[in-house]
Amino acid sequence: MAPDNAVVHAFLPHQGRFHRSATGVPRRALSVMKPAMLRLKLVAIVSTVMSLQLPVPVQRLCAFLFGLALLALHGCSNNPYPKSEHRASILYRSFSDDPKTLDPSVCYVALEIVGLIYPSFYQYHYLKRDPLVLELDLGAEEPERRPIPVTVAQDGRTIRRQGEEWTFRIKSGLRFQDDPCFPGGKGREITAEDFLFAFRRMADPSVGSPVVSFFEDKILGFAELVQQNRKRLDAGQPADYTTPIPGLQALDRYTFRIRLNQPYPQLRYLMATWFTAPQAWEAVARYGKEYARHPVGCGPYRLAEYQSRRRIVLERNPNYRVEYYPSEGAPGDREAGLLEDAGKRLPMIERIVYSFMREPITGWNLFQQGYFDEWSVNRVNYSQVISPTGGLSPEMTRKGIQLERETKPNISYFAFNMEDPVFGGYTPRKRKLRQAISLALDAQQLLDIFYQGNGTRAEFLIPPGLFGYESDYRNPYRQADLEKARQKLAEAGYPGGIDPKTGERLTLYYENPYTTPGGRQFLGTIQKQIEALGIQVIPQTSRFPVWYEKIKKGKYQLYDYNWLADYPDAENFVFLLYGPNKIEGGPNTSRYDNPEYNRLFERMRTMDDTPERMQIIRQMRQIAVEDCPWIYLYHTADLNIHYDWLRNVKPHPVALNTSKYYRLDAERRARLRTEWNRPNYWPAIGLVAFLVLGSLPAAQVVRNRSSRRVRRAGTEAE
Amino acid sequence: MSNLIPVLVVVLMIWTYCRMRQQPLWAEAFRRVRQRRVAMASVVVIGIYGGIAFLDSIGWQDGRNEPRKTIIDRLFQKPKERTYSAPLATVTTGEPTPHPLLGRHLLGTDGVGEDVLYLTLKGCRTAIVLGGLTSLIATPLALLFGMLAGYFGKRVDDAVQYLYTVLDSIPSILLLISLLMVLGRGLDKMCIALGVTSWVSLCRLTRGETLRHREREYVRAARALGVSPIRILYRHILPNLMPLVIISVTLGFSGLVLAEAVLSYLQLGVEPGVGSWGNMIDGARSELAREPIIWWNLTAASTALFVLVLALNLLGDALRDAIDPRLRSS
Amino acid sequence: MLRYVVRRVLYAIPILFGVSLITFVLFYATVSPEQMARSKLSARNPTPEQIQDWLKQHGYDKPLHVQFRKHMAELLLLRFGNSDTTGEPIWQMIRNGVGPSAVVASLSFFALLIVTISLALAVAYYRGTYVDLWGTFLCVILMSITVLVYLIAGQYLFGKVLKYAPLAGYRPGLDAARFAVLPLIVALFSRLGANVRFYRTVMLEEMHQDYVRTARAKGVSERGVLFQHVLKNAATPILTSVVLAIPFLLMGSLLTESFFAIPGLGTMLVDAITNQDFAVVRAMVFLGTILYIIGAILTDISYTLVDPRVRLE
Repeated sequence: MAPDNAVVHAFLPHQGRFHRSATGVPRRALSVMKPAMLRLKLVAIVSTVMSLQLPVPVQRLCAFLFGLALLALHGCSNNPYPKSEHRASILYRSFSDDPKTLDPSVCYVALEIVGLIYPSFYQYHYLKRDPLVLELDLGAEEPERRPIPVTVAQDGRTIRRQGEEWTFRIKSGLRFQDDPCFPGGKGREITAEDFLFAFRRMADPSVGSPVVSFFEDKILGFAELVQQNRKRLDAGQPADYTTPIPGLQALDRYTFRIRLNQPYPQLRYLMATWFTAPQAWEAVARYGKEYARHPVGCGPYRLAEYQSRRRIVLERNPNYRVEYYPSEGAPGDREAGLLEDAGKRLPMIERIVYSFMREPITGWNLFQQGYFDEWSVNRVNYSQVISPTGGLSPEMTRKGIQLERETKPNISYFAFNMEDPVFGGYTPRKRKLRQAISLALDAQQLLDIFYQGNGTRAEFLIPPGLFGYESDYRNPYRQADLEKARQKLAEAGYPGGIDPKTGERLTLYYENPYTTPGGRQFLGTIQKQIEALGIQVIPQTSRFPVWYEKIKKGKYQLYDYNWLADYPDAENFVFLLYGPNKIEGGPNTSRYDNPEYNRLFERMRTMDDTPERMQIIRQMRQIAVEDCPWIYLYHTADLNIHYDWLRNVKPHPVALNTSKYYRLDAERRARLRTEWNRPNYWPAIGLVAFLVLGSLPAAQVVRNRSSRRVRRAGTEAE
Repeated sequence: MSNLIPVLVVVLMIWTYCRMRQQPLWAEAFRRVRQRRVAMASVVVIGIYGGIAFLDSIGWQDGRNEPRKTIIDRLFQKPKERTYSAPLATVTTGEPTPHPLLGRHLLGTDGVGEDVLYLTLKGCRTAIVLGGLTSLIATPLALLFGMLAGYFGKRVDDAVQYLYTVLDSIPSILLLISLLMVLGRGLDKMCIALGVTSWVSLCRLTRGETLRHREREYVRAARALGVSPIRILYRHILPNLMPLVIISVTLGFSGLVLAEAVLSYLQLGVEPGVGSWGNMIDGARSELAREPIIWWNLTAASTALFVLVLALNLLGDALRDAIDPRLRSS
Repeated sequence: MLRYVVRRVLYAIPILFGVSLITFVLFYATVSPEQMARSKLSARNPTPEQIQDWLKQHGYDKPLHVQFRKHMAELLLLRFGNSDTTGEPIWQMIRNGVGPSAVVASLSFFALLIVTISLALAVAYYRGTYVDLWGTFLCVILMSITVLVYLIAGQYLFGKVLKYAPLAGYRPGLDAARFAVLPLIVALFSRLGANVRFYRTVMLEEMHQDYVRTARAKGVSERGVLFQHVLKNAATPILTSVVLAIPFLLMGSLLTESFFAIPGLGTMLVDAITNQDFAVVRAMVFLGTILYIIGAILTDISYTLVDPRVRLE
């Protein structure tokens, strides 16, 4: 459900994470010697110049420039971090946009930070893949899940059907981080109530949680609670956090129970997200609105410093539960050295410093100097990092850089507004119109130009690696073919893009939030591709919130976005086209509504991954592909690089707390960084020398002139 | 509308030149300018930029539903490539497998596959329109207020002085930003905002000069003969102010062209789709870290910008030296 | 003297009134309150009722003249309110930003001043020689390059290739000087041409004065003329340019700061522009104006200190 901000931000100010850090240059004998010798030489040059008996201004100028040069020699270092951090165990990363909030009930971006501060009942096993494995994080044992009969009101009738009851038991002795909001400033013990508190916050409309719709129609009594809270909000009253509701119950200090009016297997996954992480009511009460910038959690790290658009610092949380590095992994992990730290206490790095980087080149250069520990491979640095054969380039290998490929379950797409009078609708002509545009868009070209070919062209919603994806399926309308596209357009009644009724060219308004140069380039390419059909494309660029607003309200014709799964289940993708989700603010922003698709979705959502479920997904695919509400573009893969002083790096498609497994060889980093960043003084010295020596002949001229003038006793005014 | 600006600029330049030639003092000044090779070269360079802008302002549609194309579009528009390609290259760069190009590009192509030479030429019109329209907004405003204040003095002077002191007290970059934020993006809006922020200094100069001239004998004589103030201002004082105007417009023009680049960086520049050197530089910024380095975008745009600004500065200097002999050095 | 200062300060009041009138017209009359409400509330998906509430809360539902009175009072008392985007108090943002801006800008400013005056002196001293000729021509060339190129090239050359200073960022304390190096170099090169030419003109103008002729007639050497007489008399115009630059020191340089990620007022303003944060821009406009006016008053006063001929009446 989280829109994939990482991908959107590829075109917003800058992409990538940060890297790490630095320290003052250690004063080794050699580095002291060098400037000292330089100084000697400078003195020699200057004294030669002085011996020429220069006029006073020139001498003064020389002295000044000399002073500047000396100053420069002394303090030069390109290390952006304080000396005290030189050998410290600090992971250096970047962020390019302020996280709007660190409130786990609300947060979309900066998930990594939130993931590290707020652990949940479950977490993903760090090393295991295919399939991804959930393991207990704060949970003490696997939840007990049993069917219960429930009565629900549907279409005005009361019906009985099968619901579910989940009983969760958490570990005892877990404590929140120390924070002034607790009595005595000591983090108190976490209880079942703190988990339920997180659910109650979702039901509070003033919090504005984006996932309330996930639970609203499922947890017993939740919808009524939300309704009631909305009314209270309108009346200016605070939301209700006390009245018990049947769906959420604490059985004892460490046990809570969730009752649902339908089977909901995905709840397991949701219990691994930050939305369901325990929260302290004391913190919410104390910090109010500031809670968004003052998170109080119980994870491996806690927030130490938050300076908007400058720095975010996380430090190790001493109250974190005892957790050890996993001792088993996927095949090949042992050989890759990923199990060397098995059994060590987590987390292994003391601090994580995120520096704000607006300019992508600056960040990339800082990475190359060793001041960030990780960086993402993007279109700017791709050809420098990756060799033509697809591996790391020799330059990067020499520096001890390692490459990780990470495939997150995601999809990038274009969506039509199905309620638009021109491009929406379900008649064969409208379908053909959309199919024509779909045929004109060459996703491979976009993938090549904007992602360096890293990814797979999408044929349908479900990305590779998830149940429901079929690699041999070909969507007939996603094989770029301009001829076929033109033909479809003619069949739709717009031969050559001209509406025969009015004689006007068809125009398509494309809503987008892309203001950066990279974004403009994307717009230009899309425009070029669709305009080849004869349809005129008018990009409408607005700021992100305004754009988001328009999309939510359905005031658009075409927009593009991407979706990143919150949990690895096909349901998290196909629900994007589920009719009832087309409400304002709901996930179905294209407002597609096909009763047959909806019916099939309702059947598959609660099923396990069986061949029967696969069959249903195929049927849904057939329907959605023909209706063509979306143009599926691609599933991108992320390439990340990091230095070899950072160990245990294994990208995880879903988990966000992976930094706690990292280990850092700070000694090695300090040594290499110093080695790579010795300043080069010669050009500066050369410039000074040039200026000084270059003005000597002129000095002579002026001296001659002024002595001449003295002789003429000032009779000649210049 | 803005298509008229380059034409107007050219016409105005010629008109001013012809008017000034008739006066012996200024004819002498122009002779001095003509003697300087640097100044004449600058005039030629500016003329070329103006010519390109002019050609880019004349356009027509080939038929209904066809886009309007200017002469520059017709002469220089090349087929769009897939993405970047180096100058005179035969394949694209910046994607995993290079693709063959549809044509040759003297200065390469940008990320969308557009010919860089063509984009650079398109930038001329924006620069000229920006400088021209802004000067056309600011100069009459400055002259009007400055001459009224200087000539009539008293209340009028107080009012005008108050107006420009207030405007001048707001640091101009801040005023510019506020205006553009409120007005929105666009070439015409940029001209208005720049016009509002740039008339003050000329107005102050004009006022001072008018004050000086008001007390001169020829003005007094005209007044004694009963010539109306409007006529005195127009026929007698205005011609004496022209050199000042010419110098300040020439030098101001270069400042305006540079301002466009900066405003583009702040995302307050012209709307996307309008050629602009500022947008080109801004767009090429992040491509510099690429390996092999994509330099042709940035180089083409900044060179075009540099040459125009340099020519304007040199011409402005030459004019000043010629007209104001006191400042002539050495 | 005191009387003069008081009078100057009193003069400033109608000007401030005018400035706040302009900001009012700009930000209240041209941008509809509805739009402002939307931009403030947009993150949370405002309903029409919410917008109404917001308008009521912020007094936008009142008649224009009432709003104007309120706006004026708030500005004159320097009550800037909260940022439109982050909701942070603007005063706090200014407090955070003023330090880095002041440090970086004043370092660049003084370096620029010293270097340009020295160079201008040298060029004036060598007037008529090839140093003057090429020097002034070089100045025109330096003036004609857009600051964007200086930023990009400066960071690349001095930060990446020569490694003299950190590429970007800021840290308070002594370390700040290291982060100021690149902005300093960029400021130096981008302003050098115009400044040297300006100071050179000022000095040459002085050199054409009668007193210089007299001094020369007395037999004062060329060097003596330049340093004893010309520099002293050129101090007044130089001073004007210095003092009037003070507000810009505090406001920081928009481009340099945001490019080098220095968390000063310039960056704050650039962010405000990208986020359409009218409240912050409004506050900065007003603050900039006040600083500018203070700078102008200081200039006038300092004239009397430098030049005994000037009397403040």
